[in-house]
Amino acid sequence: MNRWLRCMALSALLLALAACSRTPPVEHAASGIQQLDHADAAPADWHSSVPPDTGWVPVTLMDVWTSHWPTHDGVVWYRLRWNAASADTPMGLLLDYVCLADAVYLNGSLVHRDQALVEPLARSWVKPQYFLLDKPLLRQGENELLVRVSGLAAYQPGMGTVTVGDAQTVSALYQQGVHWRYDIPLFNQAIGVVLGALFGMFWLVRREDTVYGWYALSALLFAGYGFNFIAPSVWPFASTDGWEAFNAFLYAAAASSFAIFLLRYCHLKARGLTRTLLAFNAISLTYALLWPGSAGPQRSLIIIVGGLIYYSGIVAFIVNAVRTRRTDQRVLAVCLLIPLLTSLHDFLLFFGIIRSNLYVLAFTSPLTLIGMGFVLAHRFAAAMRRAEGFNVELQREVATATDNLSNTLAREHELALVNTRIGERLNLVRDVHDGFGGSLLSAIAALERSPVTSETLRTTAVLKQLRDDLRLIIDTTTTGPHTDLPGLLAPLRHRWSQRMEAAGIESQWHMEGIEQVRLEPARSLDLLRFLQEAMTNVLKHSGAGHVALTLRRTDARLLAEVQDNGCGFDETTHTQGVGLASLRARAERLGGAMHLRSRSGEGVAIALDVPLHIH
Amino acid sequence: MSHAIGLGPTLIVDDDASMLDRLTALLKTVEGTPPPLCARSVAEARRVLSDTPVLYTALIDLGLPDGNGVDIIAQLHNQRPEVNCVVISAWEEEATVLSALRAGACGYLLKERDDDELRMALQSISRGGASIDPFVARGILALISATTDITPPPSSGTETTGIDRMSQRETEILQLVARGHSNREIAGLTGLSRLTVESYTKSIYRKLAVSSRTAAVFEARMRGLLR
Repeated sequence: MNRWLRCMALSALLLALAACSRTPPVEHAASGIQQLDHADAAPADWHSSVPPDTGWVPVTLMDVWTSHWPTHDGVVWYRLRWNAASADTPMGLLLDYVCLADAVYLNGSLVHRDQALVEPLARSWVKPQYFLLDKPLLRQGENELLVRVSGLAAYQPGMGTVTVGDAQTVSALYQQGVHWRYDIPLFNQAIGVVLGALFGMFWLVRREDTVYGWYALSALLFAGYGFNFIAPSVWPFASTDGWEAFNAFLYAAAASSFAIFLLRYCHLKARGLTRTLLAFNAISLTYALLWPGSAGPQRSLIIIVGGLIYYSGIVAFIVNAVRTRRTDQRVLAVCLLIPLLTSLHDFLLFFGIIRSNLYVLAFTSPLTLIGMGFVLAHRFAAAMRRAEGFNVELQREVATATDNLSNTLAREHELALVNTRIGERLNLVRDVHDGFGGSLLSAIAALERSPVTSETLRTTAVLKQLRDDLRLIIDTTTTGPHTDLPGLLAPLRHRWSQRMEAAGIESQWHMEGIEQVRLEPARSLDLLRFLQEAMTNVLKHSGAGHVALTLRRTDARLLAEVQDNGCGFDETTHTQGVGLASLRARAERLGGAMHLRSRSGEGVAIALDVPLHIH
Repeated sequence: MSHAIGLGPTLIVDDDASMLDRLTALLKTVEGTPPPLCARSVAEARRVLSDTPVLYTALIDLGLPDGNGVDIIAQLHNQRPEVNCVVISAWEEEATVLSALRAGACGYLLKERDDDELRMALQSISRGGASIDPFVARGILALISATTDITPPPSSGTETTGIDRMSQRETEILQLVARGHSNREIAGLTGLSRLTVESYTKSIYRKLAVSSRTAAVFEARMRGLLR
């Protein structure tokens, strides 16, 4: 919504400016005034003080005298006559356009004279001139107006129409002329200077954003060039040539920096082209300053090259904008289309192809300036948004990184804890088998060498059971938590293979699908104890010649079976011995169940069925 | 090795009297083995050794009151290589057994085992073989991967060992042992005779031994096998 509001406000502003910029009315066929467009003209030298007697030719105003005297520098006298119905009321006299400086005589008397009628000439052409005429200067009947115009052939010397009549009406026409030809260019200049200064400051605080710098430079140079339309004198230059030559340079420099601005706007460095443009401007500046007498009359050359740079820059930009489909470039392209058309008009006017005294670029340039200001501000805002977006992105990434880091730290902490626990467990087990374990083995060895009684046999059996259990504790500790089931079972399997072999029992192990299967340490110990007890039973009680151990994984369950071919027992009559109860208890601790299958004389099969994971 | 049957003249070094008795009793059951000599300390062992010109087998405990049995093993390995050194250990102490093997032992006995099992192990030694358990196999495999990871080419030092020359068959056997297979099962899986499997084990132990005593101790300390 906000964006639409802004767009609409901008459109309204542009429309209002466009309404102001319509071609102003120059002539009023109002009653009480008459416009004089026929005169006689005669050339004279710089210091002529009275109109010449001969050489008069009839001309139509607006007249540019180079059409009669192509190389004449100096003075041309214009003589106009009109009939005043009455001299009782004062009349207004409006000289629409005089180029460059003038003196005005009515009926032989001096009415007005510019400060400088020889070089450096005054620049009266920038404004219309208005005089109030009254008796006795004004006569009833025929009045003769003489306008002595000083001019230079190189700068369209001549005179525009003259309006006489009702003082109020003519004065209003004069005000209108001043408004359009003087006030508006002044206003444009102010805008140009302000925007130039503003974006110049952008550039000053952000040197890497050269697009603002070039825009500011072109805006300020254009404002300097625009000074041509309001300056009353050629100060600080010594001659009109000097002024005009420098002014042409300003135009070319403004056009060049504008073209560079457009290149930079499209993110093109174009170093070679930039250098060429700068070199051209350096040459034209040198030419204008050192040889003004030549450069002034030849200013068209500089203006043409400047214009070519300006228009080709704009055309290239518009073509590029149409191709790239970027909104901001298209808005800028539309902004540029306006000066493209209006300055085409002015160009034709400058070279006399169109006859008028009104350069319309001045009226449309606020539109362009404001449009471009909008585009640059939009660009700036987009950069800000990107920066803000970047900040948000950065914050998110920092948050993610922080999370990752704390996760990693937590994991490392967890790992360190696990390692510490393992280390502690290892130390504990080492202490146990160094001390208690050693004593246990010595005791067993001593008992086995002592005289055999039922007491020593039972004690030895208990001690060996303790030894075997300690063995399993060491196994689960030393294999570590990352060992899979085959690795965990390896010591038990190896030991019991040897033990069974020593006892003359053939043992066979089958493992299916238990690679990469891991149990928690406590459950590992329970599983090993279960298997060891089952095998101890086989060794001691079965009288078997063969035992098969099978470990199999099915989905999320682990099946372990110890099957012998020994004497077996009758399930229905066999009282549950301590051994079997202990096995059942271990199965329950493992979260599973034990199944017993036996018949007298057909061996025993003890099966354990446990889930792999307990939650 | 130098004899066909039995362990031959044997020395037992252990400070535990009951273990001495137990081993002496067990040796009686191994054919062709005369009553063993016994020593209870490093000093006593050195004395007996200097008095005994002919010795085939030495069973040596490591934790002795006046020193470490590994020194005796290393000394025998260097000075009397004809003697079969067997280390006596308790509770599958990986570090102990490995440091002894590195010093030149060519087998081990585990006190915790039943008499029947120890007898089998002694018989295996008398046949020129050697027993091996998963923990030892695991330790050797770790040593192999550590050696191939860190050791520069063998030519660069004098303390070269045969670890990096372990054959494919030997590595395969070590891996099968580490997974818990018995020698009988390994024989079945590899198509070798059981005796051949055992002699492979002995060859593995021989390759494990470092060439000099100081090097052995040095390396054992480096690897944290000795404390």
